[in-house]
Amino acid sequence: MPDPSVSGAPGATAVSPEARTPPERAELERVRTRDSEALAAFFERYVDRVYGFVYRLLGDRAQAEDMTQEVFLKVHRAAHQLDTTRDPGPWLMTIAHNACRDLWRSSAWKLSRRAASLDGDSPLAATLSRGTNDPERDALASERERLVQHALTRLPEPLRVAIVLHDYEGLGHEEIAAITGIRHAAARKRYSRALSALARLLEDSLA
Amino acid sequence: MNERGFEPPTPEEARAREALRTLEPPRVDPAFRERLRRDFVAGRMGEPRTLRLPVAWYRQPLWRLAPVAAALLVVVVAVTNRGPAWMVLASAGEGVAVVDQVPVPMGHVEELQRRLRPGVRLQVPVGSEIELASPGGLVVQVTSGTEFRLPAIPGRWVGRWVVGEVRHGEIRVTTGPAFHGARLHVQTPEATVVVTGTTLAVICEPIGTCVCVYDGEVGVGAKGDRMEPVVTGRRRFVFNDGRSPESAEIRPIENERLAAFRQSRGAWLEGREE
Repeated sequence: MPDPSVSGAPGATAVSPEARTPPERAELERVRTRDSEALAAFFERYVDRVYGFVYRLLGDRAQAEDMTQEVFLKVHRAAHQLDTTRDPGPWLMTIAHNACRDLWRSSAWKLSRRAASLDGDSPLAATLSRGTNDPERDALASERERLVQHALTRLPEPLRVAIVLHDYEGLGHEEIAAITGIRHAAARKRYSRALSALARLLEDSLA
Repeated sequence: MNERGFEPPTPEEARAREALRTLEPPRVDPAFRERLRRDFVAGRMGEPRTLRLPVAWYRQPLWRLAPVAAALLVVVVAVTNRGPAWMVLASAGEGVAVVDQVPVPMGHVEELQRRLRPGVRLQVPVGSEIELASPGGLVVQVTSGTEFRLPAIPGRWVGRWVVGEVRHGEIRVTTGPAFHGARLHVQTPEATVVVTGTTLAVICEPIGTCVCVYDGEVGVGAKGDRMEPVVTGRRRFVFNDGRSPESAEIRPIENERLAAFRQSRGAWLEGREE
């Protein structure tokens, strides 16, 4: 496996390889024409990925649901612009990232953050881990989920985007640069800073 | 890994990265997923998720305009309801009339016309006479030495009851077809006369008010007393010393004057004469 810091390609990530396999071109053509079956298949293929991405960025289930709906609304509106020669994954991530960025810039978000900071730590969702037959393992996974998500939400937003796209979504620096609208080198540097910051935040809890 | 991004990650960074990569993907709520999938496929995206509560009828946008519409209607009715203004139909004699304490020579008909508005007090000099008219409605002849407060012109649909006042002197009134359904109340110091369509004279004399009816029917009563009908060819005198009103035949001289007045103005009121 190539070193991700050099090649930009991450190793194994939370998003499964099946979710990253792009659909057939013919299927994407049908999505462009808003064919019902194709739209349903497209939705099933990407909804978990979009939801997971925005959840990691926002750290709140209700907001992640609203954002997922927003993303699919935009996808439906822009379906005719879909480039069938390319993997629609980065296109979706770009839409999701832009929608989250718009939310972060909104006064409503800033107000809610201010209220959350007055209340103490922002409330994290209940455990999201899939249940197993091993309660101890479930409890550990749940605790780790809570710690990592909490650390993510404490990162500055651009750093959060960089590390989630790279290590959670499994995108390379070049794709991240295209999604976030910055240069390749800047994307790498941002990821580097994000990883350092996350490591510092998790230093004690993961030791 | 450091700021340049080319060095291998530190053990802490590697642990943090591993923790992030091995996070379980969050599960989408099945109900949300199903609803979103249905909306996405059906193209119903963007429909509001908020519950639409019924809006009270008076808060509906159209009803909010109701006060404006009502105000507009009132303005339109007020403007179109207004009958034609008083016009000076004829004037005779020299001297200076007084309109609301402003002297106006009798010869200055335009100035008189400009000042004669409903509610003004007109004093006609001795030896002069003036006829005021509302086209189609009524003609009022204000005779020599009379002080008369002009009534409003009866409105077309509302405000059909109007009030004038004779302080002293004599007025003659004859009505036309446009006066139908209207009422003119003429107040004198001691009597009230209700005109509903007729030709009559209201004469204020030192001892009381005499009402002579040339045609039609008029209600006459002392102030605060009940109205008595006075019919064609009759007169009623209301005294100002407390005596009971008296009824009798119309005064012959007034009968002649009213006949001449009706004859000269009846055709004009009916539009048969310019």
